[in-house]
Amino acid sequence: MKPRKDLITIESLSDEDIHTILDSAVAMKEIFTKSVKKVPALKGKSVLTLFYEPSTRTRSSFEVAAHRLSADVTTFTLATSSVVKGESVHDTIDTLMSMKMDYIIVRHKNSGIPAVIARHCNASVINAGDGAHAHPSQAFLDAFTIREKYGEIAGRRVVIVGDIRHSRVARSTSLILRRLGAQVAFMGPGSLVPPKEHTGVARLHTWDEIFTWKPDVIYLLRVQNERIDSPFFPAADYHQAFGVTEERLRRIEAQGMSIMHPGPVNRGVELCDAAMDYENCLVCNQVENGIAARMSILYHLTPGTLSHD
Amino acid sequence: MPQLTSTDIASALEHWADHIAACGESEPPGLVGLISHGDVLARRLVTALQKRGVQAQYGAIDITLYRDDLDLRKERPALRSSYLPFSTDGMRLILVDDVLQSGRTARAALETLFEYGRPARVELHCLVDRGRRELPIHADYAAFTLESAEKVHVHLLETDGEDAVLY
Amino acid sequence: MTNTYITNATWAITGQHIDLCLCPAAESISTVFLDEIPLPDVKQAEAEGKMEIPEHARVIDASSKLLMPALYDLHSHIEIPGRSKRECIMRAGEAAIRGGVWGMLVLPSPAFCFDNGATLDSFREAATVRSVADMTPAGCISLGMRGLEQAPYNTLATMRGVRILSDGEDFPSNILMLYRAMQYAEDLGLIFAVRADVPALTEHTYAHPSVTAYNLGLHPCPPCAEEIGTETLIRLAEATGARLHLQLVSTAESVRIIRRAKERGVHVTAEVALHHLLFTHAQIGDYDTVFKTIPPLRDQADCEALLEGVKDGTIDCIVSAHTPCSPFSKKQDFVSAPAGMVMLDTMLPALYTKLVKPGLLSWGELIRACCLKPAEIANPREQDEGTPHAAPLLLFDPQVSNLVTEETLTCGTLNTPFLGQELHGAVTLPLR
Repeated sequence: MKPRKDLITIESLSDEDIHTILDSAVAMKEIFTKSVKKVPALKGKSVLTLFYEPSTRTRSSFEVAAHRLSADVTTFTLATSSVVKGESVHDTIDTLMSMKMDYIIVRHKNSGIPAVIARHCNASVINAGDGAHAHPSQAFLDAFTIREKYGEIAGRRVVIVGDIRHSRVARSTSLILRRLGAQVAFMGPGSLVPPKEHTGVARLHTWDEIFTWKPDVIYLLRVQNERIDSPFFPAADYHQAFGVTEERLRRIEAQGMSIMHPGPVNRGVELCDAAMDYENCLVCNQVENGIAARMSILYHLTPGTLSHD
Repeated sequence: MPQLTSTDIASALEHWADHIAACGESEPPGLVGLISHGDVLARRLVTALQKRGVQAQYGAIDITLYRDDLDLRKERPALRSSYLPFSTDGMRLILVDDVLQSGRTARAALETLFEYGRPARVELHCLVDRGRRELPIHADYAAFTLESAEKVHVHLLETDGEDAVLY
Repeated sequence: MTNTYITNATWAITGQHIDLCLCPAAESISTVFLDEIPLPDVKQAEAEGKMEIPEHARVIDASSKLLMPALYDLHSHIEIPGRSKRECIMRAGEAAIRGGVWGMLVLPSPAFCFDNGATLDSFREAATVRSVADMTPAGCISLGMRGLEQAPYNTLATMRGVRILSDGEDFPSNILMLYRAMQYAEDLGLIFAVRADVPALTEHTYAHPSVTAYNLGLHPCPPCAEEIGTETLIRLAEATGARLHLQLVSTAESVRIIRRAKERGVHVTAEVALHHLLFTHAQIGDYDTVFKTIPPLRDQADCEALLEGVKDGTIDCIVSAHTPCSPFSKKQDFVSAPAGMVMLDTMLPALYTKLVKPGLLSWGELIRACCLKPAEIANPREQDEGTPHAAPLLLFDPQVSNLVTEETLTCGTLNTPFLGQELHGAVTLPLR
């Protein structure tokens, strides 16, 4: 893999980069099986998590990944920072860079912020989700999980169900799966699925169409009402129209399809309770693989703070 | 460029296996190859030991994450999966590598190994010892010693299509 | 003061050659027609024994150059956040003259909130002293541009000579306020310059619904917001009899709506920003904030329909929509960065390079849309309705090409889409 400072989008990676990161993630996962779940690869390196949006899962996953690579982790907490006082991102980063950080893991509600930070500092910047733009580490853990389950991603069919319009997960995950040769379709309410001319991804309209299409994986997106300023759909309808109901779960079981979800799951909205106990529900695998994928990402980036002259 | 041929390597491996079998204790040893090349040699040695009635265990470790030169490289090497399907606690382990030089790889290998458990004894075996040590590490067994060679390239059938040592 | 004479010029509109003419003072040109040379050719007059060239007269050789009226811009913001008002006025004036623009309508902004006589007076005073270009302020529609209650139109119009009202580009949040304002201001002959919009539909949106918006995760700005707004404004103008000027028309459907309104005789004029004729959302690329505009850059089909609208007169004017943004503010992320481009510095060379030279627009169409129509709407020299307005002339040398760099920009900021590009044409203005 060519030296790379930042990971902002899946688009920016070559096919070789994607394969290298996925392959190394497998090796990273083996570390979890040792009695000492830690390797010294990033010993003495400083990792900063800078989350402008609340997220317990992604942040902890990155923190565990950094710890397992022996890096030191600093958490920049929004509530105690001057960010709330309207400080510009540039000034925040200048302050943080004087603390000599090697890796900055950033999440922000504005699409495009990680790229701005990456241009502005020599630390490796990892996009942990920016607006509706991209969430590349999620894409890697999803691809890793599907590859682990099916051996090969090429030729698999994955349908992503839910709020595509506001979902960075839908964008990044559909992109990496398509790059790896999978067929992807979107399904969701009309107000939340942009037209195929914009997405390049076919749209299915109903669960019946999903069952006819016979996907290997059904990927449910989280309904994020907190991000939607004005309602796009009647919330009371969602489970019946777009969720995995018990009746649909029986059909999913009968066809042996897998269920994935980026978490946290709204039980009774995207998934019925029984779906969480279904043997091919890969939600917990996704969480475990998330750490391995993020270790691999951290390991393969080269911060500008290391000089190679 | 002078070289050792496949015949040289084959007979060296036989001697090597004899040596391991001769030093045998009651428990069969575990052979842990260093990826890549060391794992291929370890696999062949395990087969050779089987013929001598010694049921040695096979393992392979990728030591990349323990290297001391990661920050000196512009790009990080791709990782390979380690394979250590047995408990190493209390075992006699033999680290197998193709070329022993500075000793830095062996140091990293030791660190890697000890995170899997606490072996009773660890030996270091290699195909070629070419001297130039930078650390207080020595080989317990070396099939060939090429201390004056400027460069040493080990080719193995499984990874490079032929068995040869070029120096 | 000696007179200046121009030799060997080509009259841009008709392509006619002018041997020798007297360069007139701006005030004295009161007739600029599309199909007729407004200047007496001195040689011809001399031959007829009517005129002589004085011995020490200044003569400009205009071989291979075009002679044409200078441009008037109906849509400029001149505030640079963080800079003094005097500096903003001076730099905008210099930039305008470099781009062939002799005068402009300055829209109200937080720094120049033209909702009272005193602010207008102080701006006019400063502009007279500091600006080399003519600057006419547009009065506010609402107090403080807040869209809630009307500004004192009588004072602005009768005491301070304001002809055009605008709240920058904001659509009044209270439509009843606008309706009553239009009724009230009808007798004053004021023009309402408004950008059509439905704010509830466009709040927190940053790009045209497109591949670009999807890939970059930018919330899409539906074109129907502008189109509903256009219909709404036209209905209000029809109902109240007020003069309406639609700012920054950006969609093909808006052009069709305006065309239909004009056909049934509504008093409406419309403008398009040069960037909406030249660029699409694809230019945003990987979040290039220079191409963040309100309304957003749209599809190629919209660009084409807008240009067609300019050519057939549905769209009356092409405007600069000049908006200086500090380099730091444009370095921010796409969502946080302010919208707008600077255009004055490069106005005529860009129009020539991107539209006239490739044959998309004729000189006649350009001069109608950038010189005659806008000046007629703004009527900056306060002449009686019906008489052609005055405009100074400029010389344009299409042979020269210039690289747009930080050094060549005088407007004070760098948010131009042409930075690092070659643009054809050099402007000589003023001529005397």
